[in-house]
Parts: sequence; structure tokens; C-alpha cells
Amino acid sequence: MKPLLAALGLCMLATPALADPLEDAQRRKLDELRSSVAGEVHLTALDMVDELVLGWKSEPVFADATPVVLASVTVPVGMGAGMGALIENHLADVLAANPGTQVQLVHCPSCTAVVVHSGPEATVVSRGIDNPDALAELEDTTSQNQHALYVDIEAEGAFLVLRARLTRMTRERPIVWSHTIASSTSVPSMLRAPGQLMTADEARDAYLDAIEGRGDIHVPLRVGVRTYAQPEDQAAVAPPPFLWFQSGAEMSLTRGAGWTGSLMGGFTFIPQAYTGLMGQARASRLITGRVRSHGRPDVYAFFGAAVINVWGPGTEPFSGQVLTGDDILTAQDEDIVNRDTFGTLQGGLDVRVGSRMGMSFFFEHMPSMRENPNMGAYVTIVNVPFQSLGTEVAFWF
Amino acid sequence: MIPVFLVATGWLAFLFPSGPVPGLTRSNHWIRQHDCERLNKQEAYRKYPGRVPPPKAEEDGEVGVVVCRERVVRDGLRSPADEAVLRKLDGLVDELVSASEPYHASLDDRTWLVEVFYPEPSVSVKLSFATKNSLLQSGLQVSDRVPLLSAEDVNVLTRMHPDVAYPAACQRYADTGTLGPGEALLAIVRRDPRETVLHAGICVDGGWVWLK
Repeated sequence: MKPLLAALGLCMLATPALADPLEDAQRRKLDELRSSVAGEVHLTALDMVDELVLGWKSEPVFADATPVVLASVTVPVGMGAGMGALIENHLADVLAANPGTQVQLVHCPSCTAVVVHSGPEATVVSRGIDNPDALAELEDTTSQNQHALYVDIEAEGAFLVLRARLTRMTRERPIVWSHTIASSTSVPSMLRAPGQLMTADEARDAYLDAIEGRGDIHVPLRVGVRTYAQPEDQAAVAPPPFLWFQSGAEMSLTRGAGWTGSLMGGFTFIPQAYTGLMGQARASRLITGRVRSHGRPDVYAFFGAAVINVWGPGTEPFSGQVLTGDDILTAQDEDIVNRDTFGTLQGGLDVRVGSRMGMSFFFEHMPSMRENPNMGAYVTIVNVPFQSLGTEVAFWF
Repeated sequence: MIPVFLVATGWLAFLFPSGPVPGLTRSNHWIRQHDCERLNKQEAYRKYPGRVPPPKAEEDGEVGVVVCRERVVRDGLRSPADEAVLRKLDGLVDELVSASEPYHASLDDRTWLVEVFYPEPSVSVKLSFATKNSLLQSGLQVSDRVPLLSAEDVNVLTRMHPDVAYPAACQRYADTGTLGPGEALLAIVRRDPRETVLHAGICVDGGWVWLK
């Protein structure tokens, strides 16, 4: 009986554990979503801090360098306190890099500490910074006649709003300056270097330049391999894979690199096997958006044409004569009497990451090789055989 | 024929909703999580250049674009009452400060203080901050000082009906001298925990006026 009860007890203990994986998965998903949202919020908030400091730099509140106590940084209700620390550190960092703001952050321990002040009217428990009477009695010189900076960031619908105010730490506590900045949809978050701040308008222009790709002419370097389909005749031998190095120029034909065009020259050389040159033109169309993305990979569909000229023992299959493997292996330089020149039409897909590197796959049709017995077809579409399959890795400079 | 047509178009609208409405591809949750606005193409391109293509020359300003943005804070992260206030904080505060504008001219030589009576302290701080900024932008002198009442006063006042409590508090501010003759207090009040609108009142020299 005891083992039965023990087993029953174990089952009861195990029941909540069975529900855990789902809850854990939900919790993880929620955490991912939270961190994603928080990441965007943090970047936007840091941008607004930059804008605040740039405002002080272009129109200083104080004529001379003035000590300012950072009284508080409050973040959107519901966001963690870590964001407050992040904003505080970034503000100190940007202010240190921009002394022209005339705002000099100072440390005032008695300002941020909780103090208890008993007077004839009442006993008040508050932070020192909120009770100048208490600070005056502490006779702490670091807190006398200084200014306090309050920064608040709040999420209002789809926007973040930053509010800041400077208060003189006297008995009357007058607010000497205040400002409100709303996040702008037309200037996505782009963290600037602390020493190179720019206005929201300048950031917008830079953003437009980036997404519209104005003046973009890139020099790509491609390394690719073209393979040729095996012929149906088992006795014939298909050309070997060709390794190509290509370079040239590529430019955006439309806004945001929706269409791009490239002109490339290529070279291939394998000792004792083949040598070749090529010229190639391509037009590419972005299919994963209207404009090039700066945050995720882009996929382009492309079509193009190339003229290829090859020579060497390994290029014999292009001649159209039925050869065997032995014919190719025993071929001597003096046997090579022809250079093969042919044109190709190609179409494929190109995946790019940040216009820095990419990978493409394509099929190629060679009209002059339709009747070549040494060549099969990977795929035939509407009676058009695509005899070659290529793949490339590209780098842009 | 006509009923079939109506059913077909109804289904099409459900499958491919043209605006920000729930359908097969958009859940109720998605709709609740986004703020949408209808803009003409020029304005939409100006505000969202990466997402809206530039308008063509022949397109006039009447052509509409609906742009939806995801709210920064997801549903459920804050209490519904706080979310209702915080989502339109700027507009709410501007409305309250506008309500006090008739008094600005006669009280422009005074320093304005702001006190917020809202149950959630973190929201209260936000309301106070936004109100002070808005008053300062209106050209008034604003102070960070908060008038204080003794614990006994607060104990009595919190037992009174709001219609009586706020004027009484105002009188106590004047009597105790915590609100001086050169000062005016703008109070932001949520009178009922069930409401999402805010009220405002002004306290000057012991006299209380409800603005909204």
C-alpha cells in the first residue's frame, strides 16, 4: 500500500511540474517581447537625452559653468528601474563630452539622502533636495544655491515624451527652465557619438540619405562557382565547375535601392585546367520591401546577361565535341586550338546583409549550348534549358 | 444575386480589411495595441519616410494613408486607469492648463505651485511634472515647492466629501501660511477612482475655484 501511496504522491507532485514548460515558454516569450520593446524605448530615450543636451549646447541656460545636481530621472511607469540608471549614465556621459552646455553635474549626498526635518509647523520626511530648509540647516556647502535637474520620460501611446526642468535650490524653489521633447517618428533611433551631436532635423536628413541611398556607388567583390549539369549521354563529360572572381561597380537605380544595377568583370584561372574572362550586367529588384532595410537582411531577385570567354584543357566540353574523361586528362596545350566564347542569361535570388555581404543563387541559360551534347539541364522552363547553376558570395566596399 | 454579393463583399472585408479594423489578418489585440492615424500622402511621407513612399506629383493632398504605430507600453503592464491618463498625458495637462488661462492675467505676478491628488504616486509625479512644464511654457512663474498640511489636517480633510474637502484644504493652506499671498496653487484632482478624466482647481488667498 505504501508504494502505491508514494507513487500517487509523486504523481501529484509531478502535476504542477507538467504545466511548467508551457508557463516557462510563455514567460520566455513575454521576456523576449519586453526586451525587444525596452530596447527600442531605450534607444529612443537616449536619443532624446542627446537632443536635450544639444539644446543646452546651442542655447546654454547658464552664462558660466554651473553646478547642477541630478535630482531625479523617472522612466515610463511600468518600465524597470534599470532604465533610469541607463539614462542617468548616458546623460552624464554626454554632458561630460560637451562642456559647452555650461551644465556641470555635481554629486550632493545630502541632496539625495532622505532627511527628517522637524520644525515648529511640522516634521517632514523627504529627500534633502525636496526640502531646502533641511539642507540649509545641514550647512552642506555642496547643496547651497545650486540647481537641481529633474528628467522625466513617459510613454504616451505610441510616443515617448521627455520632460526636463531646472530648479534653483533656494527656499522658494523657482523653476528657471523647462523643456519638453516628443520622440519624432521621422527620425528613428540612431545613437550618435557623444561628441558629435546633431539636431533632429540633421538626423532626419542623414536618415533620408541613408534610406534613399543617394549617391551610392559600391564596388562589390564576388567569389562564385558555376557548375554545369551532367549530360543525358553518360559517355559525354560536362564542363568542370568554374571558380570566378568578379568585381566592378554597382549603383542604386531608384530611391532606397529598390532597383540596383551592376556591371562586373570576372576572371578565372586554374593551372593546367582553364583560364577565362567574363563581362556581366545585372539588374536587381528588392522583393522584401520598398526600400533597403538597415536592420534586417534584404532579398533581391535579379536577372542579367554575361559574355564568357574560356580556354584551356578543361574547357573542351564547351566546344560541342563529345569527349571522354581520358580525352580531357590527356589533352596537351597544343591540342587547344579553340577559345570558347558564349553568352548567358541568368536569373536568381540574392540575400544581402546590410549591403556589406551577401550570397546569391542563380540558374543560367546558355543559348549557344542548347545542342551541346556535353551539357544537360538542371531545370527546363517553357522549353528553355538552364544548363548552369551558380552560387556566389559577395562583399561590398 | 444581391445577397450573395453582399455576403461576398462582407467576407472580403473580413479577409482583407482595408483599415485598422479586426479581421482574419488582424486580431482585436493587434488593434488595441496600435495607435492609427489617417494622413494625406505628403504628411505621411514627411512623418514616416522609410515606410511611406514619396507621393507622386499628380497626387493631391486628399489621398489618405493610414499609419499605425505600436504603443510603447503593452496592454496589462499598467493599470487601465493609469494607462488611460498616461496615454494622453500631454493633451490632458494642456486641457487643464488651458482651463486656468482666464486667471493667468490677474495672477501673473504670483508664483504658481502645483499639487496633484491622484492615488498612484508614480502617476502623480508625471502629472505634476507635465503641469509645471506647461505652466512655465505659458509664461508664468512656477515653483517646485509643495504646500504642506499637518497630519491632523490631512486626517480631517480625507474624511470630508471632495466638494467640501478641497475648499477646506485651500483655507488651511492660507491659514497656516504654507501658501503665501504671493502664490497661487493649481491642483489636479481625480475625484473618483473610477473616472479617467481629471479635474482642476485654483487656490488663491484661501479661496478655492473649480476650473473643470
